[in-house]
Amino acid sequence: MDSTFVSKTNNKTTTWKVVLPFYGYGALSFLIASFLLVCSTNNITQHYFQPNTLAIVHLMALGWGTMVILGASHQLVPVLIEQELYSNKLGYLSFCLAAIGIPLLVYGFYIFDMGWPSKWGGRLIILAIIVYLFNIAKSMSMRKQENIHTVFLITATIWLLLTAIIGLMLIYNFTYPLMPLNSTDYLPLHAHIGIIGWFLLLVMGVGSKLIPMFLISKYSNNKLLWLIFSLVNIGLLIFICIFLYSSNTLFFVFPIFSIALAVVLFVFYCYNSYQNRVRKKVDKQMKLTLLSILMMVIPIIFLIVIILLFIFQNDNELIIISYGFIIFFGWITAIIFGMTFKTLPFIIWNKVYHLLAGKGVTPNPIELFNHTIFKYMALSYLFGFILFTIGLIINYQPIILIGSILLLICSILYNWNIIMLLIHKPVKK
Amino acid sequence: MNVITNNQLKCTIALSSLLKVMDPEIGLNIVDLGLVYQIDFNEEDKILYCMITLTTQFCPMGDSILLAAKEALQTAFEEYSIHIELTFDPAWNHKMLSDFGKEFLNQL
Repeated sequence: MDSTFVSKTNNKTTTWKVVLPFYGYGALSFLIASFLLVCSTNNITQHYFQPNTLAIVHLMALGWGTMVILGASHQLVPVLIEQELYSNKLGYLSFCLAAIGIPLLVYGFYIFDMGWPSKWGGRLIILAIIVYLFNIAKSMSMRKQENIHTVFLITATIWLLLTAIIGLMLIYNFTYPLMPLNSTDYLPLHAHIGIIGWFLLLVMGVGSKLIPMFLISKYSNNKLLWLIFSLVNIGLLIFICIFLYSSNTLFFVFPIFSIALAVVLFVFYCYNSYQNRVRKKVDKQMKLTLLSILMMVIPIIFLIVIILLFIFQNDNELIIISYGFIIFFGWITAIIFGMTFKTLPFIIWNKVYHLLAGKGVTPNPIELFNHTIFKYMALSYLFGFILFTIGLIINYQPIILIGSILLLICSILYNWNIIMLLIHKPVKK
Repeated sequence: MNVITNNQLKCTIALSSLLKVMDPEIGLNIVDLGLVYQIDFNEEDKILYCMITLTTQFCPMGDSILLAAKEALQTAFEEYSIHIELTFDPAWNHKMLSDFGKEFLNQL
């Protein structure tokens, strides 16, 4: 007898071919950035504006954080907006442009040449973001109903585009005076639009959908999400205005308060989702994700300390470097770890076992990666992160070196599991 | 959640065959999750209609779950043509879990 699907409802998910290259690229970037960190421990405690630090920060922010998030979002956008992705081809194009642009930019920073590598790197990254933004906007335009998560996602991507445009302007400003001040003077503006506008807003938008979904939580509160969205964006806009038009550091208290309140409310949202979950047992990937949500509070505390130090005319370079480290190697890395091992095994399972569904016993998606390696990865990450941060704050090189080596071990173990997942072959139980 | 059907006896057989179909993320079968809304039998044309939902629209595992459901029903009803319809109206929520499903998620 013929068997047919008479599906009137579309459930077409994004193909793994679009998603997996982003994950592989992100893993490799994390490995290289961790290696560069070990090689740079001697000069990392100097000023944050130096070649090694610039290269590591951009490799972490773009090659690691943004690439994994873009990859995952190609898979998650249909879940988020309940609408299939407009174009897989645009997904490939976005990957190719970013994959060429990021190494060029990082290489330009590493050799401190603001000539063609950095400029072409920046241009290609902007093109990649425009292609991604177009793809997401077209996907969303096909959906009639309003959805708070889509508003978060599209706004975050617009902030990412603005971050990249400002970044490219800063590169040009080295050779041609585009802006009234030096490029280094605009770094806090460039960095915070990226961190708050892109990473924070995106994590909140995606997390507010996925955390209750994975926990099977009874909790939902769209009003609170709208308030969080407004607080972040208003805070960021006030920050930009103060940065550009005021010389009084004290005014930065207002945007920090607004964004800190949004973070606290988001933690409250996640806590309520956790408390009202139907599924009592929480797996380790979700625990790591929830931990990374709590870690959002640490950079806020550092930011308050930095502002207080500025107010009292005490410019502490190490606190600023620690602040950046905590964001990229702390919060963003932790959330990517959680997200990778929560989503990637399912993508691989679908790739390998999709046609075997119902035809025999296949392994569970969760069994596709090595849990012992995962455990050691999490431990080396935790100790590496804590030691490196302490080493930075007290400016003690041996601790910084040990911390960086542990982070390198963590990145090797992460890559090990990713390779195991990517090359997984069908196994019938 | 009660499954709508025009043949209670055959529906029971169909549901017991669907107990083998798991949501791999949750680790619970689709019957106790409350994903099966309706099972109808057209005896004249030998067609089995099954209306199923997913916990989330555009769930990456959706197609695999539907394929597994089709395979399970085909094995149980060899002489029937299996028509599976995916619906999100109404959307799934935790209240659709069976008592066993609730207990399972509580104890996990």
